[in-house]
Amino acid sequence: METIEIRLQKLTKVFQAKNKEETVAVKDFDITIPAGKLVGLLGPSGCGKSTTLYMISGLLKPTEGRIFFGDTDVTDVAPEKRGIGLVFQNYALYPHMTVRQNIMFPLENIKMEKEKALERAYFYARLVGIDHLMNRKPVQLSGGQQQRVAIARALVKEPRVLLLDEPLSNLDARLRLQTREEIKRIQKETGITTIFVTHDQEEAMSISDEIVLMRDGVMQQKGGPQQVYDEPTNLFVAKFLGSPPINLFEGEIKDEKVIVGDAQFGRAEGRKDQEVIIGVRPEGFKIVERSSLKVKVDYVETIGRDTTLIIDKPSDPKYSKFDPEIAGPDQHENNNHVDEDVDVDEDMKRLQEEGSIEESAPEKKETFRAIVDADHRIQPGDEIKLSVKPHKMFLFDKETGELV
Amino acid sequence: MLEERHDFKAWIYLLPALILLIVFTFYPIVNTFMIVFMVDYDFLYGDYAGWTLTGNIEAVIGHRQFWPAIRNTIIIAFVSVPMSVIISLFIAVWLNSIKKLQGTFQTIFFLPYVTNAIAVGLAFAVIFNRDYGLFNYLLSLFGIDPINWVAPGAEWRFSMIALLVFITWNGLAFKIMVFLSGLQSIDKQYYDAARIDSASRSRVFRKITVPLLSPMIAFITITSFIGAFKEYTAIVGMFGEQMGHRGQLMTIVGLVYEALGEPYTAGSVSLAASAAIVLFFMTLLLTVFNMWVSKKRVHY
Amino acid sequence: MSAQNNETTYDTRRQIIVKRVVRYTFVYTILTFFALLVIIPFYWMILTSLMTPDKIASPVPVMFLRFRDMQFGNYYEAMFAPEAPDFIRYMANTVLVAAISTVGTIITTILSAFAFARLNFKFKELFFLLLIATMMIPGEMFVITNFITVSRLGWVEMVGQQYHHAILAMTLPFMTSIFYIFFLRQTFKQVPDELYYAAKVDGTKDFQYLWKIMVPIARPTIITILILNAMGTWNAFIWPNLVATRPAFNLVSNGLREFATAIEFLPQEEYIGQQMAAAFVITFPILVVFFLLKKHIMRGVSRSGIKG
Repeated sequence: METIEIRLQKLTKVFQAKNKEETVAVKDFDITIPAGKLVGLLGPSGCGKSTTLYMISGLLKPTEGRIFFGDTDVTDVAPEKRGIGLVFQNYALYPHMTVRQNIMFPLENIKMEKEKALERAYFYARLVGIDHLMNRKPVQLSGGQQQRVAIARALVKEPRVLLLDEPLSNLDARLRLQTREEIKRIQKETGITTIFVTHDQEEAMSISDEIVLMRDGVMQQKGGPQQVYDEPTNLFVAKFLGSPPINLFEGEIKDEKVIVGDAQFGRAEGRKDQEVIIGVRPEGFKIVERSSLKVKVDYVETIGRDTTLIIDKPSDPKYSKFDPEIAGPDQHENNNHVDEDVDVDEDMKRLQEEGSIEESAPEKKETFRAIVDADHRIQPGDEIKLSVKPHKMFLFDKETGELV
Repeated sequence: MLEERHDFKAWIYLLPALILLIVFTFYPIVNTFMIVFMVDYDFLYGDYAGWTLTGNIEAVIGHRQFWPAIRNTIIIAFVSVPMSVIISLFIAVWLNSIKKLQGTFQTIFFLPYVTNAIAVGLAFAVIFNRDYGLFNYLLSLFGIDPINWVAPGAEWRFSMIALLVFITWNGLAFKIMVFLSGLQSIDKQYYDAARIDSASRSRVFRKITVPLLSPMIAFITITSFIGAFKEYTAIVGMFGEQMGHRGQLMTIVGLVYEALGEPYTAGSVSLAASAAIVLFFMTLLLTVFNMWVSKKRVHY
Repeated sequence: MSAQNNETTYDTRRQIIVKRVVRYTFVYTILTFFALLVIIPFYWMILTSLMTPDKIASPVPVMFLRFRDMQFGNYYEAMFAPEAPDFIRYMANTVLVAAISTVGTIITTILSAFAFARLNFKFKELFFLLLIATMMIPGEMFVITNFITVSRLGWVEMVGQQYHHAILAMTLPFMTSIFYIFFLRQTFKQVPDELYYAAKVDGTKDFQYLWKIMVPIARPTIITILILNAMGTWNAFIWPNLVATRPAFNLVSNGLREFATAIEFLPQEEYIGQQMAAAFVITFPILVVFFLLKKHIMRGVSRSGIKG
């Protein structure tokens, strides 16, 4: 299979509702997806990631901007002429056809010789491990098996690009783990350029060569999973990645010191005095002998390998309130958004609904989490002292959420 | 692509239906309305002797059988509809409460829906025969003398009773079917909850089943009323095209077809159209009334 | 069951069983009673069709017939006697009309239901609303003008009507149905959009998608429409009565009714046996179809009630 890179240039999609109201689903999206890589397009639901995927597939027409496959501008090319395979969230298997008929359907459309088509169908069925189920109907298959059929059907045309729209969200937790390894393996074996849309950061991090984070139709950051995790460029990215999520504190930089309430979290050399939001990864705390960060442990969650401490936030009435706008949406909003529909009205509705979810995001209880070595025997109610690992702490502008 | 409109393509798909609809549905609505206002309309050549605003309407209202037809139509609707709705609701509830033989009963109750109203109407006429019918025989067991229900010379009230029995019988099947599927779609949880709250069966029926089924009851009632306004074939089946002895069971639709049956008589087609318009407004009134009621009454 | 003094008392096992038996006895009895009411006319039809005139005229009705008393000759006379109406011909007419109008209906219905369910076009909602609104209008409004239309097309010759004219007049106005379009559109709408997108990505043309994906998926509904439409034609009376001017072009219901009218002033008991035989002959095929395709028919009807 030939591998190609995909280039999106100033890609913009504006949906127009019946009442002429416009919603920008994707805005000025510039990105190059390297040939033969698996790229995770990540963001909360309604961020425009599926819209982007559908534009790449050709099912949706961009309002502005161009799409290049290799050097070819495919913006105006019909979906079936682009050489793409698309796997839908709900698999979209034809219910009245057997697995074999499903997989062969795309080949029948291009009038491939029957022998050859059959051979090809079996090859890909074997690749995804469902060649023993060829005579079943989709209802007789488990979710994981349906998923594989959908992938085989997408691959059977030997497309240059494989697009996966939330392919794991309808699977249970165990199958999800297994299937994502499977997808990774298939992608490696075929070497096909693959774009993978998901709202699950863990999924994206674990499977992707690169992740692209989107929010409200705008790209936030792109890079290797570890890189994006370690070097978030803004508060949204920091907050979206990581489980348990990053801890946020309101504080200030004063005399190059990072101060939260009475405690000093670290140093901020060369930064001017200002109010900031301080993000600390749960694993960014260390129990130490001496520190100004004295805290009382509320709960202890033990999972064996390490221990999570739930701790009251350093209290300071001045900083008791968070601005949820800056804090950004919680990635654990647990929205399966089953209805990943490109229908214009639906999309509009969803965007609006999710907007309202964001606005009313409830205030977090004023605690934070620290993950420490299980060797520390800590009981609830213990008073401990913590220090903050400098590379696990990020300072964000209070107004813009950008990294300081 | 996806959100794009395919005007041309869509209309190609619609074209076969569209042509037929224009010729046989849309144009007739307009045309029938116009005929109402034409004097001595000639159905074959479309000639007419001028316009009249109310002439044809007056003609139909002045028709010897107009008021009897209105009376019959209203009696049929207001007796047969409530009877069949109530009976079928009970049958559906009972049917829903059993497991064994449910399918068999369901099949039996459905039979009148599929069978031919003319054929079954003739069978009813035999059952209601004065001299050797089953019905008079059953009445004779209670000491009632034979009654002439359907034959020429029958009294209006007896013919009407026999007709109502047939129409009610004929209307049960559809309603039982719809109510039963409605009942089966009610979440069992409501009933479980009611049982835990130790509600009696009649209370469950009144407080849970009927309210939850109320949209369907409303829908069935209204469509049955409209259907009853248009009663014709059942009457012809049982009593013949004369619509009973000296046309005593004439309905509005009966007037339409009687007039349409003699299209060469001057003004006859306009009379038929006027009768149809009367029916149309009766139906419209009912539909509007229904919309008004269902806004207020239907429980959810 | 809460007792007066607020103590909960439980029914004994015995009481529960007694209650249940009483209840079920009641329910089954009453259902059986109504079932008998429904069956009696059919039973009476068959019974009478097998009776001799003297049995028919018996003042105490004959409720059962022994096999050797059955008068099968009634059927022969109703169907084949030279002076009897030509029911064989009527049945052939009816089958032909049902076949033509059903095929026509299903084609126009599938195509337009697809347009409404799947394609975007200008005035779609408006047009659909218009169709729904026409469903409220009584059929007599159409019948009058349609009668005029087919008459002007020369299909309703009062004398010497040609067969193909009669067939055209009886079928063409019924080759589309707003109700079935609405019904099938509902089913088509339930097919997930992703199936369409997947087919698009694979290069499937719209018509191919309709034919290979939508129609097979909606097959149960389409079968229901086919059956209901065919049965509707079999039972049709009013329209054929208007436009078939030669007795030979009658459909079954019209033939049966004409037979009944013809004997109205004759000594009825002489003919009622034959009349019921004819009635049963035209009822029988419907019953066979019904018992064979019960599921499709009953599901279709109960769903049509829910959707409104």
